[in-house]
Amino acid sequence: MTKWMRFALIAVLVVVAALLPLFLPDLTFYVQMVLAAVVVTGLALFMGFAGQASLGQGAFVAAGALTVAVTTVELHWPPLLALACAPLVAAGFAFVVGLPLLRLRGHYLAFGTLALLLIVQTLVSTVPFLGGGVGISGIPALGVGELVIPDQIGYAYVALAALAVTLLVSRNLVSSRFGRAVRALAGSESAAESAGVDVVRTKLGIFSIAAAFAGLAGGISAFFIPYVSGESFPAVVSFTYVIMAVIGGLGTLWGGVIGAVLVSLLAQGLTTLSASPGLPTTAGPILQYAAYAAVLILALIFLPRGILPSVSSAIARRRARAPGTLTALAAEQPVEAE
Amino acid sequence: MNDFIVYVVSGLAIGCAFALVGSGFVVVHRVTRVVNFTQGTLAVFAAMISYSLLAKGVPHGLAEVIAVLATGAIGLLFGLIALSRRGTPPLISLMITLGLSIFSAAVIILVWGQDPLSPPGLRGSLSIAGATIETQRLLVAVVAVVVFVGLWLFFDHSYAGKGLTAAASNPRAAGLVGINVRRMGLVSFAIAGVLGGIAGVLISPSNAMSFSSDLPLALSGFAAAVFGGLTSLWKTLIGGLVLGVAGQLVAGYLVGSYQTAIALVMMLVLMIARHRSLAVEEAK
Repeated sequence: MTKWMRFALIAVLVVVAALLPLFLPDLTFYVQMVLAAVVVTGLALFMGFAGQASLGQGAFVAAGALTVAVTTVELHWPPLLALACAPLVAAGFAFVVGLPLLRLRGHYLAFGTLALLLIVQTLVSTVPFLGGGVGISGIPALGVGELVIPDQIGYAYVALAALAVTLLVSRNLVSSRFGRAVRALAGSESAAESAGVDVVRTKLGIFSIAAAFAGLAGGISAFFIPYVSGESFPAVVSFTYVIMAVIGGLGTLWGGVIGAVLVSLLAQGLTTLSASPGLPTTAGPILQYAAYAAVLILALIFLPRGILPSVSSAIARRRARAPGTLTALAAEQPVEAE
Repeated sequence: MNDFIVYVVSGLAIGCAFALVGSGFVVVHRVTRVVNFTQGTLAVFAAMISYSLLAKGVPHGLAEVIAVLATGAIGLLFGLIALSRRGTPPLISLMITLGLSIFSAAVIILVWGQDPLSPPGLRGSLSIAGATIETQRLLVAVVAVVVFVGLWLFFDHSYAGKGLTAAASNPRAAGLVGINVRRMGLVSFAIAGVLGGIAGVLISPSNAMSFSSDLPLALSGFAAAVFGGLTSLWKTLIGGLVLGVAGQLVAGYLVGSYQTAIALVMMLVLMIARHRSLAVEEAK
């Protein structure tokens, strides 16, 4: 894809994403999809570059949401300050727990992060300061002073702005010196280490950044819903983030967005289908679980690199058949975030 | 003092259940290096199947055995899918089994609904050292010990068991001496299905199970297996007992709702403390 084509494609996407909220009757689904894309963009970077899976990304969404809930409702901070703190607290939390946790790898880290999520769930539903058994309700609307966001459309644009920030930060990150260290990790940890990359610090950095994105999404969702409890962050939602990241493509800039949109659309389609007359009330969860699982398993077996890298290399390979191009070589390289 | 004995005895019984679930992780991991996320799901399947059979009037004993054999078959099916592609990295296989456990949740809701079910078990209770314990929980402990002795005899003292271990420690060499590594992997998944099934039919009479019970079961089983580095069966049994007793003591003397969290924190501490020895096999 040439630079101009890519630019045009992104411009079209931006326009469609910005116009869509004006035409949708109910924006709950849209806001949640965009926020999921924010979380998954970070997760896809972490999973792609650190080569590790986090099954408990919801823990950092929870950290962000709780920051907003506790600071606005119990400490009466202004909403904007609370929202600004959400990604910082989530990143700080990830840094502190990551210090010991990231020494683990593979399935130990996968189970470790899942355990972290369940511990966070337990704390949220038992510690009174964090909402205890009843949760925290009455979170004020996001805004400055008298000027607050009155309706769903406002939150749709806040979520889109968060996604834009997330993508910009990720893009600049990957092309920075830190980003090169991160990409070196993806190839081989021992090789990266011998080239002078501090493996633990680099992993911790990308883990904290992914957590900051999750915290930002969590903070916005706390204003949007506006209620936070121990049951707001079920494990299956964290699994869904992993499914979205795997489908879209790990270690790519746009993979998280593509995965989040496709899986959310699928889930929404099934919800609509299961609400049709004649189906039992259990049809909803049955269809959702089955579809999530089928999509995850099929993607892992047949498209292990995700949709975005597979499609881009297929395009590059077709182009390469035309004589006189050098893209043939590029097609064999794994596609990095550009 | 009497409270203390009660907590320890009930903790040991719960720990045996953890260890049974954990043994399934160990068997699959020893042979295939894959962590089988469906271990908790298999227990739920067995609980549900035995519930249905008992409700249809199948006598005790037979119903449980059929349920355990059925989960053995389900375990084999999971293995066929998880190992369907050669050279799949273990972390990808873990995620495939995660997908299988999500899919199983759909099947369980479809067949048995969303509410927790509990098949009838042994009634009554016994008194041990002044502590009263339900007969069903005692049965869990007895069966767990029998199963662990059986696994030990099989893996360390039988030709087939040694073949299974050989397939894991060096797949290429095992292949050269005529061991079918893939078949060994499938056998391990089937054994894991049977082990998960035994855990399920034994635990469910005391703790009702639903489609979402798989996660806590899998995590506590994994926590027990971590004590044995996912390879040692005896240390998994010890790990299960330690976790069970610690959880009961915390629940009894401190806060009841922290029981699972304590097991998870212990698992995290142990994994992090031992990360160097655990990391050897994971290193790229």
